[in-house]
Parts: sequence; C-alpha cells; structure tokens
Amino acid sequence: MPPLDKRIKKFLKDSIRIAPKISGKGELSELRTGLVSQYPQTRKDAIKKTIQQMTLGKDVSSLFPDVLKNIATIDVEQKKLVYLYVMNYAETHPELCILAVNTFITDAQDPNPLIRCMAIRTMSMIRVDKILEYIETPLRRTLHDDNAYVRKTAVICVAKLFQLNKDLCVELGVVEDLVNALDDSNPLVIANATAALIEIHNMDMDAVDLSSLIQSHVSQFLLALNECTEWARIIILGTLSEYSAKDSLEAQDIIDRVTAHLQHVNPAVVLATIKVIVRNLPQIEYSSNSLIMKRLSSAFVSLMSTPPEMQYVALKNIRIILEKYPELLTKELRIFYVKFNDPLYVKLEKIDILVRLVDPSNLKQCTLLLTELKEYAMEYEPEFVSRAIQALSQLGIKYAQESFVSKVLDILLELLERQDTIKDDCCISLCDLLRHCPGNDKMAKQVCAVFNTWSNPEVLLQSDIAKCNYVWLLGQHPNNFSDLESKINIFIENFVQEEALTQMSLLMTIVRLHATLTGSMLQSVLELATQQTHELDVRDMAMMYWRCLSMPNNESLVNDLCQNKLPMISNTLEKFSPEVLEKLLMELGTISSIYFKPDSNRRKGKKYVQNIVKGKHIEELESMAKNEISSKANDDVLLDFDERDDVTNTNAGMLNTLTTLGDLDDLFDFGPSEDATQINTNDTKAVQGLKELKLGGDSNGISSGGKNNPDVSGGNIVSQDLLDLF
Amino acid sequence: MASAVYFCDHNGKPLLSRRYRDDIPLSAIDKFPILLSDLEEQSNLIPPCLNHNGLEYLFIQHNDLYVVAIVTSLSANAAAIFTFLHKLVEVLSDYLKTVEEESIRDNFVIIYELLDEVMDYGIPQITETKMLKQYITQKSFKLVKSAKKKRNATRPPVALTNSVSWRPEGITHKKNEAFLDIVESINMLMTQKGQVLRSEIIGDVKVNSKLSGMPDLKLGINDKGIFSKYLDDDTNIPSASATTSDNNTETDKKPSITSSSATNKKKVNIELEDLKFHQCVRLSKFENEKIITFIPPDGKFDLMNYRLSTTIKPLIWCDVNVQVHSNSRIEIHCKAKAQIKRKSTATNVEILIPVPDDADTPTFKYSHGSLKYVPEKSAILWKIRSFPGGKEYSMSAELGLPSISNNEDGNRTMPKSNAEILKGPVQIKFQIPYFTTSGIQVRYLKINEPKLQYKSYPWVRYITQSGDDYTIRLT
Repeated sequence: MPPLDKRIKKFLKDSIRIAPKISGKGELSELRTGLVSQYPQTRKDAIKKTIQQMTLGKDVSSLFPDVLKNIATIDVEQKKLVYLYVMNYAETHPELCILAVNTFITDAQDPNPLIRCMAIRTMSMIRVDKILEYIETPLRRTLHDDNAYVRKTAVICVAKLFQLNKDLCVELGVVEDLVNALDDSNPLVIANATAALIEIHNMDMDAVDLSSLIQSHVSQFLLALNECTEWARIIILGTLSEYSAKDSLEAQDIIDRVTAHLQHVNPAVVLATIKVIVRNLPQIEYSSNSLIMKRLSSAFVSLMSTPPEMQYVALKNIRIILEKYPELLTKELRIFYVKFNDPLYVKLEKIDILVRLVDPSNLKQCTLLLTELKEYAMEYEPEFVSRAIQALSQLGIKYAQESFVSKVLDILLELLERQDTIKDDCCISLCDLLRHCPGNDKMAKQVCAVFNTWSNPEVLLQSDIAKCNYVWLLGQHPNNFSDLESKINIFIENFVQEEALTQMSLLMTIVRLHATLTGSMLQSVLELATQQTHELDVRDMAMMYWRCLSMPNNESLVNDLCQNKLPMISNTLEKFSPEVLEKLLMELGTISSIYFKPDSNRRKGKKYVQNIVKGKHIEELESMAKNEISSKANDDVLLDFDERDDVTNTNAGMLNTLTTLGDLDDLFDFGPSEDATQINTNDTKAVQGLKELKLGGDSNGISSGGKNNPDVSGGNIVSQDLLDLF
Repeated sequence: MASAVYFCDHNGKPLLSRRYRDDIPLSAIDKFPILLSDLEEQSNLIPPCLNHNGLEYLFIQHNDLYVVAIVTSLSANAAAIFTFLHKLVEVLSDYLKTVEEESIRDNFVIIYELLDEVMDYGIPQITETKMLKQYITQKSFKLVKSAKKKRNATRPPVALTNSVSWRPEGITHKKNEAFLDIVESINMLMTQKGQVLRSEIIGDVKVNSKLSGMPDLKLGINDKGIFSKYLDDDTNIPSASATTSDNNTETDKKPSITSSSATNKKKVNIELEDLKFHQCVRLSKFENEKIITFIPPDGKFDLMNYRLSTTIKPLIWCDVNVQVHSNSRIEIHCKAKAQIKRKSTATNVEILIPVPDDADTPTFKYSHGSLKYVPEKSAILWKIRSFPGGKEYSMSAELGLPSISNNEDGNRTMPKSNAEILKGPVQIKFQIPYFTTSGIQVRYLKINEPKLQYKSYPWVRYITQSGDDYTIRLT
C-alpha cells in the first residue's frame, strides 16, 4: 500500500483527467478526432478502438493517414497496433502503405530488436513493387543483424519477398544470403532459413537446389536438432525426411541421431521423427524384432495419449505404415480399443486399425477382438455400429477358419434379431461371409432362414447395397427360400424405383434362375431393364443377357451363365496400390496422409495470388492514395445524412476475391468400402459372363440378334423366340 | 504451413483472425460455418480436417470456440498444425485465464500481439509462455522522452533464441526449492464380471521449479533402463509420508520426511514405457547415457510422462446389478470395493451409473457417501469422499419407468436388455494420495548451479488417480 499522500495524488489525478475518452460506438468521425488529439492517451485509445472496429470487420481504411501519424512513437504497444493496422490494409489497400515507407526504414534501424523485426516483417508483406524496392537495405542489414531474434525474422522475410516479387529477389541476391544462413550459429535461424528455402523451392523448383543443400548440411541439421525449439525441430526433421542417404552407414547414422526425439513430448515432433526413420529403414539391416521396430511401436502407442485431432492424424498414418510394415504394433491391439469418450472420427479410425492389426494366426487375439467388436455393435452411434458390424465380417474373413467364421455369423444373426436399425449392415456383412465360404451350405441355411422370415424385405432394407446383397442371396440359394417367386416379384414391381446395384443384382438373379421361374418373369425384367431404366450399365447388361439367351445352340453358354461358382473372397480390407503406398510414406504427417491421397500438385505454384501493384511511380502512388482517402472521407460525410445501411463501401481489393461456392457433394467422399467390394463382385460376374460369351463370326447369331429389336412390329417374333427357349 | 488462423464462435463465425499469407481469399473463413452446419445435418461424424474448394480447414474446439487454421497445400504438416493450435490455446489460457468467446473479444490487443510472435508467415515460432511474458505484457509502457529511458523499452530477451529458449537469465528466489509431483492416471476397461479388458498407467512428473540462476538438474528414478547405472548410489530424497492426511494436491505444503530405511526397502526396479520429455531435457544425453538432465523453466511444467500397459487389478471395483421389473421400474444394486492396501485411502470417489433417459421417481439406500440423480447425464452419481483401502460399501437405487401397456394381441412386450436401456458404461473417478501403482520411486534429484552455489531443497509427492477412461461395461 503506497503512502497516503501518493494515493491522494493518484486519486486527484484520475478524477481530473483532461484527456477525453473515446466512446465505444466506433464512429469514424470520433475516431478521427481522437487520432489527432493533442493528448497521447486519447490518441492511443483511438487507435485501440480503431483496431477493435477493424476486428469486427468494419472498413476503417479511411483513417489511414491519421493512424499513420501515430506510428512514430516510443510506446511499443502503440507501435504494434499501428503496424497491425498497416499490415491489415497492406493486402486490400496496398497503395496506402506508400505513406509509411520512411517510418519503416527508420524503424528497421531502431536500437530495439523488437522494432527492427516489426519493420522488416511489415515491409515484406506489402504488395507494391516500388515499396519492395526500398526493402533491400533493411533486409540485407537484418539478415546479418547481431541479434538472432532479428535474423530469424529476416530469413522468413526472404520467402515472403520471393512470393511477392521473384525477380526482385533474384536481382538482390538475397536467396544466397538465405543459403548462407544455413550456417548460422543459432539453431532457430537455421530452422527458419530451412523453412524459407523450402517455401521458395515449392514456389519455384529452379530457384533453390533443395536436395543438394540438404545433402551438404545434414550434419548441421543433426547438430541443430538438439538445441532448437520444438517447432524448429519439426522443420529440421521434415527436411531430413526429404533426404536420401547415400549409403546404409549414413542411413543408420541418421536413424541413430534422430531416435532420441521419439521421446519428445510434442506429438508432431514424434511423428516427424517417425517419418525420418521410415524414410531410412529400407537402407539398413533390421529384423522385425529389432530395437528400432520396438521404438517405432512405442512411439505410435504414445500418440494415442494425445488430443483427439492428433490421434486422428496418428491413426491415419499408422494405417499407411502398417501396410508397409505389418509386423509393427502386433502386440499392441488393446491400445486401439475404443474409449467411451472418443470423438466419432477417432472411433471409426480405431476400428479400422484393429481389424488390420489383428494377427490372423493368433486365435486368442482374434477371439478377444471378436468380443470387443460385438460390444461396439451394440452401441448407439449409427455410424459406429455400422462400422463395427462391417468389421465383424472383415475379421471373420481375415481369420479364415470356418469354425471362426461360423462364430462371427452367429453373432451377426444374433445382432440382427435384436435391432431393426442394423438390418442393412448385417445383410451386407452376412453375404460377405457367405462369399468367403461359398461351399458351406449349413451357414447359408442359417442366414436364409432368418431372411426368410422377413415379410417386406424391399421395405426393411434401405440401402442399394443391402438390397443388392439380399437379391444376390436369393439367386445363390433359391432352395432355402419359401415363396421365392413372390419375393422376386416384389422387386420386379419396384424395378424402376430401385437403384443401379439392386437392378443389376435382380437381373443376374432372374437370369440365373430363369429355368425354374415363371416364364413371364424373365421377359418382364428384360423389358424393364432395356426400356425403363435410366442406368446405362443396366441396359447394356440386360441387352447382353437377352442376346445370349436368344442365340441358337446356346445350351452350354446358358449353362455357364447360370451355374458358375463364384471364387472365394479372401480379403475385404482395402489396400493401397504399391505406387500410392510409396508416395504416402513420403508424405507422413501431412494433410495428404489424412485423405490417403498423394499430393499430385506438390511443388506447384500457388493457385490464388493477388497481383502486385506494378509500374507506378511514387508520385502516382501518392496521388492514388490521396484520392482513395478523399473518396472514403466523402463516404464518411454521407453517413451523417443518409441511412447507414444504404451505404456500401466497395473495396477494390475485394473484387479479386473468389466468391464461387463449390459443389458440396464432392466434399465428403467417405467412399464406403461395401460399394467397392460389391462392385468388384459384380465386375467379376460381368467379366466371367463376357468370357463365356461366344460371339464368333456366326452370321446366324447376328441375324437372330437383329430380329430381337424391341419394336411393336417385331413383337410377335420376340415372343416366338422366347417361347422357343422352353 | 498455415495461411491464416481464426478464432470462431460456436457457430463457426469468425471473431478475430490473423492472416500470415495472402494466398487465400478473405472470404475463405465465411465458408466454415456453412461447412459445419452441412456436416452436422448429415451425421455425427465431423472430422477435424475439412476440404472445400482447394482449401483445407483444420480446427480444434475449446469451450465455445473453434480455432481454425486454413491451409492451401496437402503437403502441409497436419500434425504440426493441430499441435500448434492446441499450444496456441495453452498460451492464451496463460494470459487470459479462460479462453472463450467473451475473453477473445475483450482482449484483442494482447491476442494480436501474441499472434505476431507465435507464428510468422504460417511457420510456428515462439510458444513458450514464460518467455513470451518477458516481452509481451499486459501493461503499457508509458511515454518517456529522455533518450536514457528509451533503453528500458520492451525488447525480446536474449535467451529467446538461445539453446535454452525456455528460461531467461537473472531469475532469483529467496528460497531455492524444487517440487516434484508424480501423478499416475489409471485407465481401465472392465466387464461386469470383473474381467479387465484393457489397463494402462499414464504417469506425469510435474515440476514446480523455484530455483535461481541457471540450474542444471539431474533426476534419478528406479527405472530398469536408467537405474542400473546408479546401482551403488544411495543418495535418497525425502518423500511424502503415507501418514500425512493432506488431500489437496495443489498445495505447496511441504510433506513430512520419511525415513531413509523405509525408502531403502523399496529398491525395486520397474520398466517404464514411452518416456516423453519436456524439451528442456537433453534427449541425446538420455538416449546415449540414460541420464535425465535438464535446465528447468521457471515455475510449473511437465518434465516427463510415461506409460505402463501391464495388467493391474482394479483399484476401485464396482459390482453393478441392474434389474428391470415389468418395464415399470428399474433396480440398481452396486457394491463398491477399494482394492488397495489398508493403509491407503481413496478420496473424492465418484461413481456415475447410467439410467434410462426417461427414468423418474428415484429412491436410494446407501451405507456411505451421498447419492443423487443427475438427469442431464441420464445417470445417478454416488460420491464417497473418503474410501479406506479394503473397505466395501454398497447402495441400491430404484427408479420408475413409464409403463408400457400390452398390445392388442395380449402379448406382453419383452423386456429389453440392459444395453438398450442403459446408455454407456459405469464411469469411476478417484484419487489415492501417496501411492503409485507402478511402484516408481525418485532416487535423487541433484541441483547444481555453477555460479550461485546456493543450497536447495527438493520435495517429492506421489498420487494415483483415475484417468479419463476408467469404466465398467454393462451388458
């Protein structure tokens, strides 16, 4: 507690404060008055209120000259606010910034490193080439500043400058200074210089020979790794992961030097370290039991104790690495058990990893996972339950022993009895299991017995893929269904309303069973498929079947079509192609790894860059700036007389803004694997059918086909031909 | 890396932002609320990385905020961006205490300053709060006109870019002390029958450093990989006595000293997995020599964490029995047992048992603690403040259910299974002071300050608690 007299002084001083305050209304006229007030405190208040309005999205660019008058201050906080204002309007009103050039140049030599940094940082972000020309001296000086804090900011400015004006960078030769910064004594400067060089390389691959730079600086990077910040480590590790070691000795050395960072507390550092190790693994001798594999497994396990967004990235990357190194994490199944409070996007990824990770030769492990997946299938989140049911069949198919598959089947049938919302998923999974064990009639009887009890399957099942599987089952095991024809007839009646997969499946089933079905059913479905449907694939398939069935001497062909046995499904887990896998391994930890899509646009230039204001002389720029300020001032005056809502300020810089709304349907392509699986199955059938098709040079066949044109005048001929089949 | 960082409200509308590059349109963030609402309409699956029109929106949630980074390239480091966003919230929490919509609006000046320092051109820079506070302060430096005073203006500390980038020079404390809190969180998943499906111990070594100058510390613990090198080192550190009844783990109160002989009896080595260290620890030295050495930042920080995944017996076990009577009422019987040594006591035990959404009219019987119905969580909550080891407490609850009449055919509706009635598992929380499940022991903590040569006092405390997933499934 200060003495009484001091407290009295403070009280009196506050109560008679002379400097007027700025209200919170944010009116431009009041702000302008405050900005030029004789009282420093009022001016600072006005600057804060201006920034506040700017934050709220209001255009306060007309205040530019008044704000700028306050830039020459020794109050660091105030200077920061003015710089923020300038930087904000550097993008939308670059011409206005010409007025601040002198201050920037002065501040770039300020004794305070903080001020020097602010000046150089702001200058490098203004897209007016005449201003950029002033940057040479301050930039070069700060690149060699005696303060490392300033140097680490200056090296990033080179990348900014390169983006704005590549030719100027080349002319000034600052890229060479940037390369020299890789030998700086300070590790943070080294890391930022590396990041800047990578950015420049991404903008123009010819400007920087990145691979040879990395090669000549590997030892510096490894040394800096132990002394820099966590973010700098990520940059350096990311750079090392781009490097191909020249021999196994070097690869082993790199692995040995970076392995320590698997134990950094920042999960991004851990993942970046994993990436370097994975990059160098192919060049060294290792076994699945070696220490390095254990260390990698441990590192991945630890990433499961991080925030959910980070877990999400880690799970995606584990998925990639498991495909290359399936021996990893084989003893860590339980780490990926779903936690009750996990976000849904983590839960789904964990199930995917569990099914891939489980060892098919380990019965105990498979049994434990089976029990776990059953628990998940009884949860409440629809997407989670759906994925768990799919995983059950994936697990059964992976383990492959028929007794185990039978156990999975029993669980699925049990689940089917208790809930109505999972019929679609169970139907798909059960059919997958039957395709895996095509010769097991006992299992088929079990499944069909349950489906046989459904009175309205075309309504109970919701999705195209589920109906497709149900109809497929009718065709494969017709003897297990009572009232087979009425079940099929219901689908024929709704043929036009069904989707493509169901239509195709129905077509195949009826062709397969046509010898035992009522004759009109085949004719009905072929007519519907060739005349009523909008699906071209279905039309083509139906036409092909029609011609096959109409050919003379077609007994063996029809027999092949109707009696063929499908091959056994051995795997329903999606895999990457070898090319994609190798690319994804090079992009671990990136956004590419989240989408499993290699960055095909890698190292291409930016798509969206606003143009620099070029070709103007200083006087012209000043004139433009003053005119713009005048017009804004006029708007402000108008605000005093007209309705505010009627006044719309158009920013020239905004005209370049992209306003197109993309097609949202393309955004969320979660691509359910069931579709892929079923499409593959259909393709197999189609290919087999085509292979059996004997379309030689038989002139009679061609002639017969002609007779089958679906027109009214040929109706009798068509009927006659069809009747001849029986 | 990141072209811009935005703080958005719970609808995704931007409150405050900082653009680091000009390679995205100003209107890019306006798509974010549309993307969110479209996704929410479709399903519950909202991944933290959205794609629209060639732009990537990476975001985390904190209180009523979305913190969003917009990125233009698929080759950007997603792990670094998410980690950076979490770190950014941590820094703001240190300055603002609470990070939410209102505090973002009210503190825009300091936030803009911080956004300038934590990132440059989308590249993360300085996120050490203790260092940022050296030169980004809440106070305004007053205008001074003399050239002499100008030198006192705020400037970045020299240590900011040193290899010790987390600790400024010139720190002084009257009394030099270092406090170690070893906190072990137990995650466990159990079935109703008592089978342990998964268990793990996640340990945190939290340090509160009140040391002057630039001290160099060396920590010894009874880990197989570490301790074997110091088999002959008998230096013992005083540790908290089990007899102390202090339940407040946040207090700086000094626990009493246990006897050396008691500590010597417990020289059992354990094997820790997944050691993770604060960046102040010399990782290469640990890798090569298995020594934990570090120059600590001032104040509180997490020195290291570890994990053990050995199967352990449930420390707090609940035998839960649920019965549904004619779809009109539900009975829940629960026996809770503290399966720990009698000399230990579990504190602040909370057992959350799910009940149907439409349950009503709760009546309770219990021997200890307090019971209440929490309808917003569709659960009943049993609190037991002090639960001695070896004890067993029980409770029963009965709740009414809306009656379901017979259908016209006269068939009674079959009773549903527990899984359909009860959403989610039983969740348990507890703390057990002066106890570590893993058996970890701190052998020594050596403190060396080469210049000041002061006398220093290390203190160690242990606590075991429930993690974020200590659950019993009901099926």
